[in-house]
Amino acid sequence: MLAVIVSGLAIGAVYAATALAYNVMYSTSKVLSVTTGHLCMLGGVFGAWFIAGLGLPAGLGLLGAVLVGAAFGGITEVVGVRRVLARSDEHLWLLSTLALATMLQQAVGLWWGTEPKPFPRLIPQDFSAGLLDQKYWLPILTVLAMTAGLEAFYRLTLWGKLFQATSEDAFAARARGIPTDRVRSASYLLAGALGGLAGFAAGQLTFAFFALGLTLTLNGFIALAVGGLGSNLGALVGGAGLGLLSAFATYWFGGEYQQTIAVGLLMLVLLVRPEGLLGARRVRPV
Amino acid sequence: MSAPAPAPGRAGLAAEAVTKRFGGVTALDAVSLDLRPGEIHGLIGPNGSGKTTLLNLLSGYYRPDAGGVRLDGEDLSRRSVQRRPRAGIARTFQKPRLLGHLSVLDNAMLGAWRDVRSGFLATALGLPSALREEAALRARAADLVHGVGLGHALARRASLLEHAEQRFLEIARALALRPRFLLLDEPAGGLTGAEIGHLADIVRAVRDSGVGVLLVEHHTDFVFRVCARVTTLDRGRLIKHGTPADVRHDAEVVRVYLGA
Amino acid sequence: MAARAPRLGLALLVALALASLPYWSGDLYRLHLVSLIGAYWVLVAGLNLVVGFTGQLSIGHVGLLAVGAYGFAILAGTLGLPPLLALPLCGVLGGAAGLLLGLPSLRLPGFYFAMATMAFALIVTELSLAWGGLTGGGTGLSVPGFPAPFDTPSGQYWLILAVAAAVTALTWNVARLMWGRALVAVRDSEVAAASVGVNVFRVKLTVFVFSGVTAGLGGALFAALQTYITPDTFVFDIGLFFFVCIIIGGRGTILGPLIGTAALTALPELVAPLARLGTFFYGLALLVVVLLVPEGIGRLVAVLVARVSGEPHRSHEVRPDLARLRQALAPPDGTAADAAPAAPAPLAAQALR
Repeated sequence: MLAVIVSGLAIGAVYAATALAYNVMYSTSKVLSVTTGHLCMLGGVFGAWFIAGLGLPAGLGLLGAVLVGAAFGGITEVVGVRRVLARSDEHLWLLSTLALATMLQQAVGLWWGTEPKPFPRLIPQDFSAGLLDQKYWLPILTVLAMTAGLEAFYRLTLWGKLFQATSEDAFAARARGIPTDRVRSASYLLAGALGGLAGFAAGQLTFAFFALGLTLTLNGFIALAVGGLGSNLGALVGGAGLGLLSAFATYWFGGEYQQTIAVGLLMLVLLVRPEGLLGARRVRPV
Repeated sequence: MSAPAPAPGRAGLAAEAVTKRFGGVTALDAVSLDLRPGEIHGLIGPNGSGKTTLLNLLSGYYRPDAGGVRLDGEDLSRRSVQRRPRAGIARTFQKPRLLGHLSVLDNAMLGAWRDVRSGFLATALGLPSALREEAALRARAADLVHGVGLGHALARRASLLEHAEQRFLEIARALALRPRFLLLDEPAGGLTGAEIGHLADIVRAVRDSGVGVLLVEHHTDFVFRVCARVTTLDRGRLIKHGTPADVRHDAEVVRVYLGA
Repeated sequence: MAARAPRLGLALLVALALASLPYWSGDLYRLHLVSLIGAYWVLVAGLNLVVGFTGQLSIGHVGLLAVGAYGFAILAGTLGLPPLLALPLCGVLGGAAGLLLGLPSLRLPGFYFAMATMAFALIVTELSLAWGGLTGGGTGLSVPGFPAPFDTPSGQYWLILAVAAAVTALTWNVARLMWGRALVAVRDSEVAAASVGVNVFRVKLTVFVFSGVTAGLGGALFAALQTYITPDTFVFDIGLFFFVCIIIGGRGTILGPLIGTAALTALPELVAPLARLGTFFYGLALLVVVLLVPEGIGRLVAVLVARVSGEPHRSHEVRPDLARLRQALAPPDGTAADAAPAAPAPLAAQALR
């Protein structure tokens, strides 16, 4: 039973990290990017390549994975979001980020291969550690640190305050002289770096797998919608809840109904509380 | 214009002491207004006085926090936006909401949706009944488009229309609904003097056909010229209601809105 | 009216060419390819009403394709029903699945809806693996063909062509008549749609269920064409492919997505390097279209045609025709209907373009 809880929380941490990345990008642009899960996928694949493939030390591998994630976050903003937001059509960003996600996934599949590959050991530890294995606690600690870091960033730094002002009312922020375009670019770089970091930390759990991106885009979004769009605490709660639910569903019914049950949870929550558990009730604009 | 006639029975569209709050702000505070068939009723007041809020309440986009909306004495408050047109209430928008990709005629025809009896299946199969209905609605919409003066642009994409044309097309679309009450949200906004004259002609023709017209407007000259009765709002409260002459010379109205 | 004769002639020519294809296509592989395009189109035609006309971005219609395909394999194969009876039943099955998916998801905002359809596709794959007794699990099912005269490649092609033509006609009627205007209103301005009394949710749901029916039919035809199906036949990429066909072809047209489906199916088969790139190519095509011609290539063609032959834009004072207005507003007494002018049918023309 404890094993189910630990593995559920670990995979839930990956969902929560994806949900955090969604939030960072959503706050400044009001865009939900289909590429969000792919940021984590990049962290895992490039982390494995840097360390196992190129033989770099783990620290450099981490740095590389974070940089690759940030770079793709930046590409998402420049190619998929910036030009599209200039037009007023609300659906175009969905199409452009979907196109980017598709291209990236297929490119990684062609280059890296379509089989999941193992992620190297980061910290010397015996494989018999069981539930204390780093593949479980690394992602959990990472996502907790990410949440705390984000809160500190938003509250304590000037850039964080610019993020918040843009998030609350981009129009008013622009009127007050805040360079909202640069804030938005920065938020996508940040989300990419966070995704890369999370994917790297969870690599031993998820393996370096090209198709992980789409799964995380969906399950990270479910965690986000359940927890409440825009709330980082909600992302943690939603991720943990979804991870535990999947783990227990696997434990009781076998792995066959994981996605069905995850979506069932989402529909249930949306039916009862459309704004999510911890989300802010939105005023409908007419 | 003739003096307002007493309404026979309770025929009409009425807001009864409606209150609407947004967060802590009271946008409307126990305001009443009744619109009778065959009259033009003006609704004026400074920006933010609650004119559009009242129109949104009447057309069902908002639900009142207190008070009610009645049609011929029947409570409408709980009826959704989509069901108001079926009751014969049509409206236009401050910023015209046309379908830019469709032609002028198509936009006007959309207004006739409430008269569509053909279901999806009958339409998909192209049954004769669906084709006959289409032809009849097309003819009616074409008459209205010509009637409001857009006959020259029947097949033009609505996104290519000029501002005044967009406003007039929205009125044609609303009329295609065969409304009993027509709510116009600043229809004269951005129009030239000559165009406002045409607008007045259209609104009078609509009134003469027995439709009650509510005119939310900033052009007070236009309002006083065509309306039988005028209601003035200020900061969510009703401050004066009466004939144009009464309202124009009311001290309170002059102070808050018309100016000296 | 003058433009109608050549257009009608062209349509007849195309119809003749399509009907006689088995006699001049040359080899069976090409015939199979066109049959495949036809089966895809049966689904895409219905999906086009959802995506292109109503603006609901469903990226998971491959799930409904799988429902139709498995339904056909089970009904006609396992249960031994006559295939020509199983085919319409698959339409019913697809429609029911569409209702099941549409009821909870069509009230949600755009991104939520897209994710729900994607989740649906993954769930169908999951269930097709889990219910091994019914679906053969990972091993899959073999699919029976149609009886004579549809048991040859040519016969199968003609059956698919007939269904595709029928579905195209249905969507064309919907697009050109009042329902088409309501759909576009839901896509472009829900506020305007509600203001004329369009029940937005019901319209969305109706069209979505219809797309489920065509997906079920398309799935059955697709399965018969493949002769063997497994969960891997219905990867998520195919759902993406259907979606991209429509976006590239253009919103609010029927011909555009038809050409999109044909081109995107045939190109990777005819140009070998594209096949290697696979889904990357679809993603790239989608990105280019979204960034450069967001209304789709079909719209671009229409705009160019209009620019070459179109009316010059003139400023024109709005001058109401009050007599006609009063007549139109008068309560119907039989005289107004007779005054109907022969107006052109712009939406129909646009839908065909």
